[in-house]
Amino acid sequence: MMQMSPAPWTRLRRALVAIGTLAVLYGIAAQIGQKWLPHRIWMDVHYIDDVELLPTYRSLGEELVFLLQSGILPSSIAVSTGRILIGFFLGACAGILLGVATGRSRRIEDLAEPWVTFLRFTPALALLPLYVVWFGYGEPSKVLLIATNVAVVTLLGAHQGVRGVPRVYLDAAASLGADDRLAFKKIVLPAALPQIFASLRIALGLAWVTIVVAELIDAKMPSLGYLLALAGAYPRVPTMVIGIATVGLLVLAFDLLALFLHARATRWMKRTA
Amino acid sequence: MMPAGSPRVRLEAVDVGYTYSGQTPTRALEGLNLSVGDREFVALLGPVGCGKTTLLRMFAGFLSPTQGSVLCDGARIDDPSSDKGYVLQENAIFPWMTVRENVEFGLLAKGVEPASRRAVSDELIRLLGLAAFAEAYPKELSSGMSKMVEVVRVLATDPSILLLDEPFGALDAQTRAMMQDELARLWEQRRKTVVFVTHDADEAIYLADRIAVLSPRPGRVTANFPVELPRPRSLETRFSAAFSALKRQVWEAIGQSVASNAPKPSPSSSH
Repeated sequence: MMQMSPAPWTRLRRALVAIGTLAVLYGIAAQIGQKWLPHRIWMDVHYIDDVELLPTYRSLGEELVFLLQSGILPSSIAVSTGRILIGFFLGACAGILLGVATGRSRRIEDLAEPWVTFLRFTPALALLPLYVVWFGYGEPSKVLLIATNVAVVTLLGAHQGVRGVPRVYLDAAASLGADDRLAFKKIVLPAALPQIFASLRIALGLAWVTIVVAELIDAKMPSLGYLLALAGAYPRVPTMVIGIATVGLLVLAFDLLALFLHARATRWMKRTA
Repeated sequence: MMPAGSPRVRLEAVDVGYTYSGQTPTRALEGLNLSVGDREFVALLGPVGCGKTTLLRMFAGFLSPTQGSVLCDGARIDDPSSDKGYVLQENAIFPWMTVRENVEFGLLAKGVEPASRRAVSDELIRLLGLAAFAEAYPKELSSGMSKMVEVVRVLATDPSILLLDEPFGALDAQTRAMMQDELARLWEQRRKTVVFVTHDADEAIYLADRIAVLSPRPGRVTANFPVELPRPRSLETRFSAAFSALKRQVWEAIGQSVASNAPKPSPSSSH
């Protein structure tokens, strides 16, 4: 069988086709909307004129050039991505370590379980005020908010992965003379890896949701959330569209990267698709 | 039970009983006696659910009997260890390791140097004719070959005892016959003490030196048949008159053992 096109490339091609199709449809809608959509809207207390509800590619292009030349967009991307990476790294490390611990030990699981459930269903934003009070308005509160979210998801993934290692592999390893250490390194971890990677992928998406919303609420400094908040304040629809598209493309790019790494790490698995 | 002048006993089950606890406790084994001599190939033959696997897991050190005792070289078996190579009934090849890594795992656990590990795995993989697949993941192997990799994985540490739990149970008849030949060939090259669990009388006769017939649950050994067919065994063996005659005896013994353990014994059943 040909193994030359791994799933990520297929996915990339499909993503490009899907985005291309949407882009064409949007362009058509925007051109039509230019004529028919209202350019004057009522916002709470007053009218705003010259609003483009569906900006055409022309105005999007002008806006993009402005955002790029002024350095606003690049620096926003850099700042938000930086927060994601640091928070994701911290959260993933903590989550995997804790998940492996709860997976290995019933006692630790009993201790951790209520907290995991508690954090899992607590919206990240509910924690933000607390984090701001605890860690200040700066980077730590945002990074730690991402880390918390990522940790909870990866904890669950690692826990289930470790718990779900089929008994037969452990028995086979034991009868081949493996001690606990070797069995953990060579059996438990590799067997849990697919689940861990799957949870990392989910966590990565979640990290983007968390950061953009956190930056929207506490809009400071260049950041994608700040850019969106600013665009909403004017309001400037082209800026919004570009901001949203940027976040979307970044999420997509990160997801593809995660998928690629996942495929590399689980080359040994049978694939049916 | 054992032929006269038989070699020393390696594995022994003395009056073994095992009851699975639970809402309805199940007696899997009761009053089971079995001894396996040095370098003897014993097939445990019995219907599905007669406790064959339970007994094998005791020999492997994963279960302790609730009654009686299970001994290896006269000592009680407590833990699994690599001097008793155990091939599980389920597919237990490690899918995240290459064929070579699988074969070398037992040696890795023993702390053997990479170079020596490689020498052993090279030989065993060549023996299976899988040299081209040494660095492949098990997903590229057929299910028969991946089972044989499990068998040689156990052989790599050169255990003196092999415990095989229906290794070919899930294979089609053709592949099964091929794998039986492979196993017979391997065993003739490196004689080990083998306990081979199966519910297939043909397979038991073809491979074993002795067949122990187990009754339905609670399992116990109801008959022993020495298999005095010449080795190496081949297609000729399978179609020889001696083979057929033995097969008939074995089937009759299975019939009697089923009848003897049936909930309502029929009046005609006799011992």
